[in-house]
Amino acid sequence: MLVRAQQRAVYSLALRMLVRSDVAEDLAHEVFMQLYAKLDSIESSGHLVFWLRKVTTHRAIDQLRQRARVETSSLDEVADVGAHDEGDPLWQQRLRQLVLQLSPDARAVMTLRYQEDWDPTEIAALLDMPVNSVKSHLKRSLDTLRQKLSGETCTKS
Amino acid sequence: MHEELESRLREALRPTTPPPDFAARVMARVVPTQRRRATAAWWLAAGLAAAVLIAVGVQSHLKQQRDIQAGMEARREVMQALRVTNQKFDLAVRTVHEAPGV
Amino acid sequence: MSIFPKTAAAPLLAVAVTAAATSLAAGTLAPGIGTASGVASPVVTVPSAQLVLPDFSALAAKATDSVNITLDGSLLHLAAGFLNSKDPEDAATLEAIKGLQGIYVRSFTFDTDAAYREADIDGVRRQLSAPGWTRLIQTRSRKTHADVDIYMMTVNGKALGLALIASEARQFTIVNIVGAIDLDKLRKLEGQFGVPKLDLSSQKSSGP
Repeated sequence: MLVRAQQRAVYSLALRMLVRSDVAEDLAHEVFMQLYAKLDSIESSGHLVFWLRKVTTHRAIDQLRQRARVETSSLDEVADVGAHDEGDPLWQQRLRQLVLQLSPDARAVMTLRYQEDWDPTEIAALLDMPVNSVKSHLKRSLDTLRQKLSGETCTKS
Repeated sequence: MHEELESRLREALRPTTPPPDFAARVMARVVPTQRRRATAAWWLAAGLAAAVLIAVGVQSHLKQQRDIQAGMEARREVMQALRVTNQKFDLAVRTVHEAPGV
Repeated sequence: MSIFPKTAAAPLLAVAVTAAATSLAAGTLAPGIGTASGVASPVVTVPSAQLVLPDFSALAAKATDSVNITLDGSLLHLAAGFLNSKDPEDAATLEAIKGLQGIYVRSFTFDTDAAYREADIDGVRRQLSAPGWTRLIQTRSRKTHADVDIYMMTVNGKALGLALIASEARQFTIVNIVGAIDLDKLRKLEGQFGVPKLDLSSQKSSGP
């Protein structure tokens, strides 16, 4: 019941961070395994929501940092993003690809903001980051996305 | 322009459905582990219960933590409720302004 | 200039807007308990702006996303304690919820069209035809298949509550705010929390 209620958010968060559905599913499984081990420490539904997103995001960021030390990110992986949401307009796939090109911290901030609708204060608490850092990530990421999209639009017109 | 981009980001990053049987696969991994931990967890819980009964300060600390969690959750819900309300107001206003002659 | 290409002009829309009307007191008079002098004193019943919301658990089970918020007076008070008056966004929120006794939201999003029926919401609409409620806005869009109705309850010219029903192809939303809602303060929050500020001027511009 717990898994069903939260699986969509946890899996989506992992997918937006890690790109590959198999890797995202593995991470989501591990998060739920960890949850069941720590169930007694969960105090409320709000705590559960917060805990799941915190653990998922932190583990995803750790994986991304480890991956960056081992290899550079593959353009094929980034291009695969669109396959998860077949039927979506191309601009949505492109936006997702651009988000994946952000740093792990910026990617986490953007996903928590625009997928989960969390405000900067909540994101800061979840990521153990100052609120101003969260706001900086948001502003810089939006500026970067806008510049890249504007450049593409000008090229096409 | 940021506002339009943010709106598009919300659409592009909306939650996606996990593969079928995701929940079943998680439970398949969780249940055997739970059985192994049941006995150890029982003894641990019994010991903790005794410690908590003695240490009243721990109780009030836990309550304080719960109160903070509840407050943060209430704050979040207020903001979400007002956000949803404004989104629907905007929908109505946008419809009015799209009408011919308005 | 938008970074996204503009789509072609939209077809005609069906829209009806009802102007706000001032509502007089809608209290009822009932025989009261006799006083010591033997004269019956009238009892004025003030209508309640809190709607009885149906149990939507069956629809929630079908929905891909659900928002279910129930904030009574005590929870609003608790939330206010966690809003930072020095932060502009928090301060505006504090102003908007001042004097409110409850905020209730039910919103469900589905994967397909027609996943819910109008009959599911009719019970709520019927309550809004009770005395005291006045419809401020009624919009119907053939383009987006979105209908929005916004009601206000006023007694003696004083706002007691607000109700909003938004019915879209794949989503419906019911909002009920109980208390002295100030629409100006509520609308000041537009453009915050990541809700885009409504820019109507760009919709009238010609193509890129």
